[in-house]
Amino acid sequence: MSPQLTLQTPLELPPSEIPAYLEQLWAKDQPTSQGAHTFCLLVWQPAWVEQQLVRTGRINGPITGVQRDEVITAARQVVSDSDLPLTTPPLTASVGQALGSLNGDQQAEDLRGQHVDAAVSTLRPRRLITLAPSLDASHPLETLVAAYCPLPEEGGGTAACGDVVVLRGGYAALTQGLTILQPLLPEDLPSWVWWNGSLDEAPELLEQLAIAPRRLIFDSALGSPHHCLNLLRDRIEAGQSVNDLNWLRLRGWRETLAMVFDPPQRRNALGHVVQLDIDVEGEHPVQGLLLAAWIADRLGWELGNSEPESNGIITASFSRSDGASVTMRVAPVPVGQPSIHPGQIVGMRLICQPDHQPAACVILCAESGGCMRLEAGGMASMELIEEVVPVQHSRVEADVARLLEGGHDTTTPLLAAAAPLAAKLLH
Amino acid sequence: MSTTMTTNPLRVGLRQERVIAPQCLVIFGASGDLTHRKLVPALFELFMQRRLPSEFAVLGCARRPWSDEEFRSKMAEAMADKITDNPQAWEQFSAGMFYEPVDLQKPEDLVKLGGRLETIDRLRATRSNRTFYLSVSPKFYGSGCRALADAGLLRDPERSRVVIEKPFGRDYSSAQALNKVVQSCGQENQIFRIDHYLGKETVQNIMVLRFANTIFEPIWNRNYISSVQITAAETVGVEERAGYYESSGALRDMVQNHLTQMLAITAMETPGRFDPEAIRSEKAKVLQAARLADELEPWNCCIRGQYGPGGSQSAPLKGYRQEPGVDPNSTTETYVAMKLFIDNWRWQGVPFYVRTGKRLAKRLSEVVLTFREAPVHLFDAAGGSPTANQLILRIQPDEGAEFRFEVKSPGSGMRSRPVEMEFSYDESFGEPSDEGYVRLLADAMLSDPTLFTRSDEVEAAWRLYTPLLELIEDSPWRLPIHPYESRTWGPAAADSMLARDGLLWRRP
Repeated sequence: MSPQLTLQTPLELPPSEIPAYLEQLWAKDQPTSQGAHTFCLLVWQPAWVEQQLVRTGRINGPITGVQRDEVITAARQVVSDSDLPLTTPPLTASVGQALGSLNGDQQAEDLRGQHVDAAVSTLRPRRLITLAPSLDASHPLETLVAAYCPLPEEGGGTAACGDVVVLRGGYAALTQGLTILQPLLPEDLPSWVWWNGSLDEAPELLEQLAIAPRRLIFDSALGSPHHCLNLLRDRIEAGQSVNDLNWLRLRGWRETLAMVFDPPQRRNALGHVVQLDIDVEGEHPVQGLLLAAWIADRLGWELGNSEPESNGIITASFSRSDGASVTMRVAPVPVGQPSIHPGQIVGMRLICQPDHQPAACVILCAESGGCMRLEAGGMASMELIEEVVPVQHSRVEADVARLLEGGHDTTTPLLAAAAPLAAKLLH
Repeated sequence: MSTTMTTNPLRVGLRQERVIAPQCLVIFGASGDLTHRKLVPALFELFMQRRLPSEFAVLGCARRPWSDEEFRSKMAEAMADKITDNPQAWEQFSAGMFYEPVDLQKPEDLVKLGGRLETIDRLRATRSNRTFYLSVSPKFYGSGCRALADAGLLRDPERSRVVIEKPFGRDYSSAQALNKVVQSCGQENQIFRIDHYLGKETVQNIMVLRFANTIFEPIWNRNYISSVQITAAETVGVEERAGYYESSGALRDMVQNHLTQMLAITAMETPGRFDPEAIRSEKAKVLQAARLADELEPWNCCIRGQYGPGGSQSAPLKGYRQEPGVDPNSTTETYVAMKLFIDNWRWQGVPFYVRTGKRLAKRLSEVVLTFREAPVHLFDAAGGSPTANQLILRIQPDEGAEFRFEVKSPGSGMRSRPVEMEFSYDESFGEPSDEGYVRLLADAMLSDPTLFTRSDEVEAAWRLYTPLLELIEDSPWRLPIHPYESRTWGPAAADSMLARDGLLWRRP
C-alpha cells in the first residue's frame, strides 16, 4: 500500500472560516455528502529532521512527515558527517540540531497532513487534523482543508469520506490557531491525538491538545527519559487512554520471555528470580525500565530502592513475595548502527535460583545484535536457556494504524501497571 | 512463591492477537441455545482478553419481543458463573448489547433493523461495519441472506459479512442450491461457513506441523505412509438433539463437515503462501480428488452402526431407540466408518479410514498416520514383529502429538521395541486453548476466511458422500445399521472392514 494524496487540491481558507466550511461540506442537505462515522485523528507532525534535510539539500522534497528510508539514510549520514556519537539514533533532536547549524535554503512542497499513509487512510478517518510546525518560527498561520476519499482499491467505497485539515506555521502562529480545533472534533466520535515528535518539545501545546477523553498516542523513546516516564505515569493516573509506541515495540520481548516460562515445569523458577539485567542501546533507558517494571509487576515484586550509577547504569533492588531480594540493572551499551528508536533493548538476562535445584539463567538477545556481556560471568553451572528476539520491522504509521483500528478507550492494564513503577525506577 | 504456579504470570494479558475493527455483531436467533451457550460467552471472552475494541456492539435479533434490558439479563443469567468473578467487566461489555425483535421473513422488520443499526453506529461509533451471524434454523439460511441483501445490508463487501452455521445443505444438490442463493446476495469473501472443528488449535496445528517443519513434508506421501485413520469418538449419546439428529445422523452431523475438514487439512498439498484463498483452494482440490474406496458398491467400504443399551447394572445406558424423541424403529446411524482413497500423486493407493460415533468407549479425536514398515527386518522385535512407525495427532482431549518408533531394547541382544516421543499442549504451554467459537468469531469479525469453508469445499465434501446418501435413500438395506453396545468401540463389522486390509483400528 502506498501513501495517498488528497483527491482535490487543498483549499486555503482563513482559520475562522474552516469550521463553517466543513459544516457546510457535511451538511445533511448536500446530496453527495456522507461523512464516515469513524474517528478523528489530530497529529502533531513536526518532521524536524526531514525539514532540515530538505533545507540543507540532503534530500529532495516533498516533505511528508512519513518515516521513509530516504530520510533515515540521509539522517544516518548526518550522524557520521557531524561527528555525533555513532550511537545517535538518526531521527532524534541532536541530528536536527546538527543540521540546524548548516547553511541551506532549499525549498520543497510541504505535504504534511495531505500525504496520508495508506495504513491510516484505509481506516477512513472522518477528520485528520495535522499541526505542521515550520522551521521558520515567524511563519504565519496557513490553514488548508480538503475533502478526502480513500481510493476503491485501497478499500474505499463510494459512500463514506472524510476530510483533512492542515494548520501550518511557526509555533506561535500554530498556538493561535488552536482555537478552531475544538469545534472541529465532533463529540460523538472518538478522537485520537498522535504526538509524532519529541515529548520535550512544546509541552504546553501537548497539554492543550491531549485533553481527556481524547486518546493519546506518543513514543516514550522520544524526549528526556524522566519527562517521558513522568508524562506516561501522570496521564495514566489521570485516567486517560494512553498508547505508547515504545511499549508496543516491547511486545517481542514480552512474548519471548513469557514463552520461555510457558512449560509448567519451568514456571516455579519465576518465583525464585534473584537477578535481572537489561541492556539497552545508547542512553535512553525507558524501554528497558518498562520491561523491568512489567516483569516486577507480573511477578509481584516490591520495589526496595533504586539508584542511578555514574555511567548511566540504573540499579534497583526488589523484594519478592517470599521476602528474598532481586537485583535489577538496566545498562546502556554502545551499538554500531542504532535503531531509529532510541533505547531499544539489546538483551536481557534473568537468573533464578530455585531451592534444591540448579540455578537457571534465561538470556534473551535481540536478533540484530550480540549478547556477549550478558553471556559472560559464572553461569557454567546454571541451566542455560537462550532465545533470540526477532526485530520488528513495522513502520510507525502501521503501529499507529493498529492502535486506531483496535480503538480501546482505556490504557492497556499491563502498561498502566508498569509505567508508574518504571517512573519510580528512574527516580 | 514456593507453591506451583498454575498459570504463567508473564503470559497474562499478552496474547499477540490481530486487532478486530470497530463493528456491530448482529446475531439472528439470539433467543436460541447457541447464543447464550457459545456466542455471547465467546464474545465476553474476547472482551476479557481486550481483543474487542471499545467501539463494539452486539445486536441480538429474534422474533421474541424482548427489550435490550431483557436480552442483557437473559444472557447474564445464562452466563452467571462466568460473570461472578468479573461483574464490572460484564457491566462494561453488556452496555454494548442491544436487542431488536426481527422476523427475517418480514421486509418491514429488516427496514427497522437498518435504522437500529444506524443508531448503534452513532451511539457506539461502529463505523457501519457489521457481521451478521445466522444462528437460525438451516431452512432460513438462504432466505435470511436474501432478506439482508434486499435490505441493502450486504452492499458494502468490505464492511458486511455473514456467518452461516452448519449444516450447509443436506446433500450435494441442496448445498449447490444454497450456495447459489447466498452468492447472489454478496461476494464469496463476505460468506463465512462455520465449522467449529477448524477453530480448534490442534486442527490448525496440523498445518503448522506439516508446513513449518522440514522433517515431515518429505515423508508425507504414499512412499512412506501406508494408511491414515481419522477418528472422532464421543461418549455421549444423542442427548436433547434427537429432533435434529433423527433427520441428520452421524454422516451429515460429523463426517461431511468435521471429519472431512480434518481429512482435507491432513492430505492437502502445500499452499504457495499462507493466504485464505491459497489454503482453501488446496483443501478444495484434495476433496475433489477424494472418493469412496468402492463407489460402485459402497457397502464394501462403509459401515453404519447404532448404539444399543449398555453400561453397567448400577449405571445403565439407554440405546438410541430408547432415547426421548427418537423413533423406536429408527434407522438413523449414530456410527459411521468408511474407507476413502485420494486419487492424486501424493496419496494414490493409501487408504484413509474415517470413523465417528456416539456412545463409544472414549471421547477423543485424532489423526493417525501409519508409516510403511522397514523393507528388511534386521532385528528381533520384543513384541514378535516390529511395530510400524506412527504419528498420532491428538485433536482432543489431551491435545498434542506423539511419534512411535523402534529403539534398541536394553540388554546384550539386539532386540527392538517401540517407544513414544510425545508433545503435549498442556506440558509445553500449560494454558487451556480458546474454545473454537472464540477463534472463529474473532476471525469472522476480522474478515479472515482461512478457517471457514468455501463454496467449492462444501460442495466437494457433499459430492464425496453422494453415493452413500443416495444408497441410504434408495436401498437402505444395502447399508444396514449394525447395532453396537454403548461404551464399546462400535460394531464388529467396522473391525472386519479393516481386517480385510490386514489392519486394526487404533485403540487409544
